[in-house]
Amino acid sequence: MTTAGETATLDACCFIVAGHHFAVESACVEEILRGGRPTRVPLAPPEVSGVLHLRGRIVPVIDMRRRLRLAAEGAAAIHVIIRAGDEWYDLLVDDVLGVQSFPRGRIEEPGGDGLHDPRVGVVADDGHLVHLLDPQRIVQPLFRQRTSPVITHGASHVGSVA
Amino acid sequence: MVNDNREFIDEFLVESSENLDQLDRDLLALEQAPDDPERLASIFRTVHTIKGNSGFFGFSKLGALTHNGEHLLGQLRDGQLRLDDRITGSLYSMVDAVRSILRSIEATGSEGEVDLQDLTTRLAAVAADTREHARAERTVAVDAASPTPASSSAGLAADPRPVLPRAGSAPSAPAIDSPAASSAAPSPAPSPPEAVAPAPPRGEPQVPAAAPPPAAESTIRVDVALLGSIHDLVGELVLARNQLRSLEIEDPAIQAVAQRINAATNALQEVAVKTRMQPIEHLFSKFPRIVRDLAVTCGKEVHFVVDGTDTELDRTLVESIRDPLTHLIRNAVDHGIERPDVREAAGKPRAGRVMLRAYNENGQVTIEVQDDGGGMSVEAVRAKAIARGLVSAEAAARMPDERLLQFIFEPGFSTATTVTSISGRGVGMDVVKTNIESIGGAVDVHSRSGLGTTIRVRVPLTLAIMPALVIRCEGQRLAIPQVAVSELAPLRPDRPDGRIEGLDGNPVMRVHGRLVPVIFLDELLGLRERSAHREFGTVVLLRVDEREFGLVIDGLGGGSVTATRRAAEDIVSLTTIVVKPLGGLLSQIGVYAGATVLGDGDVALVLDPRGLLRAARVPSQQAEARPAAAATGAAWVESDRYLVCRTSGGRRVAVPLNEVTRLEHYPANQLQPVAGRKVIRRHGGFTPVVDVDALLGVPAAPTPEMVHLVIVGDTGLAVRQILDVVAAESPLHPHLSMPGVVGSLSLGGVATEVLDLAPPLMRSLAVAP
Repeated sequence: MTTAGETATLDACCFIVAGHHFAVESACVEEILRGGRPTRVPLAPPEVSGVLHLRGRIVPVIDMRRRLRLAAEGAAAIHVIIRAGDEWYDLLVDDVLGVQSFPRGRIEEPGGDGLHDPRVGVVADDGHLVHLLDPQRIVQPLFRQRTSPVITHGASHVGSVA
Repeated sequence: MVNDNREFIDEFLVESSENLDQLDRDLLALEQAPDDPERLASIFRTVHTIKGNSGFFGFSKLGALTHNGEHLLGQLRDGQLRLDDRITGSLYSMVDAVRSILRSIEATGSEGEVDLQDLTTRLAAVAADTREHARAERTVAVDAASPTPASSSAGLAADPRPVLPRAGSAPSAPAIDSPAASSAAPSPAPSPPEAVAPAPPRGEPQVPAAAPPPAAESTIRVDVALLGSIHDLVGELVLARNQLRSLEIEDPAIQAVAQRINAATNALQEVAVKTRMQPIEHLFSKFPRIVRDLAVTCGKEVHFVVDGTDTELDRTLVESIRDPLTHLIRNAVDHGIERPDVREAAGKPRAGRVMLRAYNENGQVTIEVQDDGGGMSVEAVRAKAIARGLVSAEAAARMPDERLLQFIFEPGFSTATTVTSISGRGVGMDVVKTNIESIGGAVDVHSRSGLGTTIRVRVPLTLAIMPALVIRCEGQRLAIPQVAVSELAPLRPDRPDGRIEGLDGNPVMRVHGRLVPVIFLDELLGLRERSAHREFGTVVLLRVDEREFGLVIDGLGGGSVTATRRAAEDIVSLTTIVVKPLGGLLSQIGVYAGATVLGDGDVALVLDPRGLLRAARVPSQQAEARPAAAATGAAWVESDRYLVCRTSGGRRVAVPLNEVTRLEHYPANQLQPVAGRKVIRRHGGFTPVVDVDALLGVPAAPTPEMVHLVIVGDTGLAVRQILDVVAAESPLHPHLSMPGVVGSLSLGGVATEVLDLAPPLMRSLAVAP
């Protein structure tokens, strides 16, 4: 994670989804809201539970339990508004713990299988793991539209790489 | 370059870009009237300004280039040479080079690696020629007129770098004013008074300083982002005002204030809308140059006429129609207008005429691209449409010409017999149509063989504010743009007019004797299953692209509720809404045009009627004529096409094609085990490889020699065989309990499992890093 010119610590906004600890870099966080009445959007991806109006913008609400495929009791009601690229997204989470500084040296590579994994790092903190999420990666798999596939023949292609 | 300069440089870039547009216009005008001193002076001034600024910022290439250009222009202006094709060409090249340098400065902050040696030499060469030429002329002038005072002034006029003229200078002042001198000079006996007397108004524009016209002082530049936030804030204010209005205020003092806030908000909203508007001239001004260059390339003579440039349009829409219009104009010149000899043979004037016209009509802006060229052959279109299987021969024979011509907007449809580098190739018209429709516009074509073609584009004035019908469907409020609504009708099962028929196939409704296809909104949006009995409800009749369809907005029939009462409940209001963009994630659903905030602060989605038609797959009129059109009334919005593969275990599985980024093949020995998983090295990084069998919870079969990878996101899915890309033939039937599978559907006549690509990634959560 660490590149030259970065500070020694990473400030991240920590939150809880289904008992697991997650965090996004606080620089990406626009606002945190409690309550709010999202308007549901029929035909939206199942992870999108609706839209909210916030400061002139229509913001899609992403149900983080669904996005992370985690089940929990009760309704999540805290909205973490983040910026990914030019657009805003509202992450619906169970609870927000606040901003915490993590020494970059202690952040490790996540061990996921890479398939639509939104995590960019994992850090152990106070007896539990905090999974660092990348805003762009949270949102990206929800987009269905991609460029059409390009078929390449690997043999020659791989030869030049290897 | 010092960083502090950035702000000034930005200003310089904006100003220069406008100046360059002006230059294009002036050069075009100058070609028509080479002796127009005002034009020459304007061009000279513009180039001089750019030169001055580039010197100030230390852009040496730009400085050198414009210096040479200015030098040449100075000589033109001083009448040492008449404009000819070579000079015009060099000047256009200079404008293009300046533009590319400015672009480079904008992007990188430096002038870039453009090699200008050639152009600079060319400009200098033309200027040198001029000098030769001028010397000869001067000699003639001096010889002929030596006894008169005119000789001195004519001699001075030849100086390539004239000094600043003093206002109201004596008649003996340098005769900078060129046309009189230049036209007089070559004649053996110039009339001295004509050559000497500079007309005072002509002397005026020669002030080389960058004096902007006085009109500019009444306008200032405002950052578009700043305007955007003003619009957002006005929207917020309107909302608060609406809430205020809904309160019961007793205090007369507060009431009075509330009224004033109300009035001010209304006025403010109106003004805010105006700031979005831009005359279409900004767009149109680019086209004369394009037409000129294209006509030269194609060897055609084209007279380009532009009309209605003061027509105003939302500036975001102006951007959206730029490419489609460029395409249409290119088509008109390249395919529409015939070569001069062909035209003459047909008894037409050598020069073709292309007209670009904009005007307001019914709250929309209409733009026409009209040419008097060869027109389209209806027969060719008919033959092509039949050959491509778009329409049966019988249906095509019955079709009116106007309808047939609309086939040119079908993908891959082209009747051009020669493919040129400029347009043709059978692409384009479908893209034009798609682009125009994406902003809620429409496009149609009229053509007469031998007489020419008119393409008419209609776009809304603005997408930001529009009257809309707010309706309720299954408890959800939605807005429908009023421009698409033609009529409201109650469902009347007891009458033939107002009853829905053909529930299982293609539901239709009889309206005024016409059969109109019907879409059930609740069902389309997945809010409810189709119920067989819809007794009451309201049908909104919509018209999009000449196609009419009914939208059943609520079908819930309460026994005692009358149809009229029901309708009143479905329709919430007719109101003006401020449409906000939904963002990429939700726009991709395809049935929403945006969202709006209602008076009570709730968000309502704005339906896109065209998107509804697409999503519901209502057979189009053209499809009706298609012999093999599978007319299905069923609504499903799953991704259309799937990549079908076979797994190592022999199962037939599918992945939505739009999830797939690449298909790659590797020898199996390229797979490397890392931390208990397999990865492959590609594009300089490692991509994890997941065997589809593992995803399905089946033990993996032995790896074959070649591994076929379907790249999804940042993972490769290993399959045994990639079979085909197939369009879905049925809605997805969900499987809830099967690991790795979201459901199955019919692909190529075979039930196929669709892989669940949302990952079981949280399995790894339990594993400590």
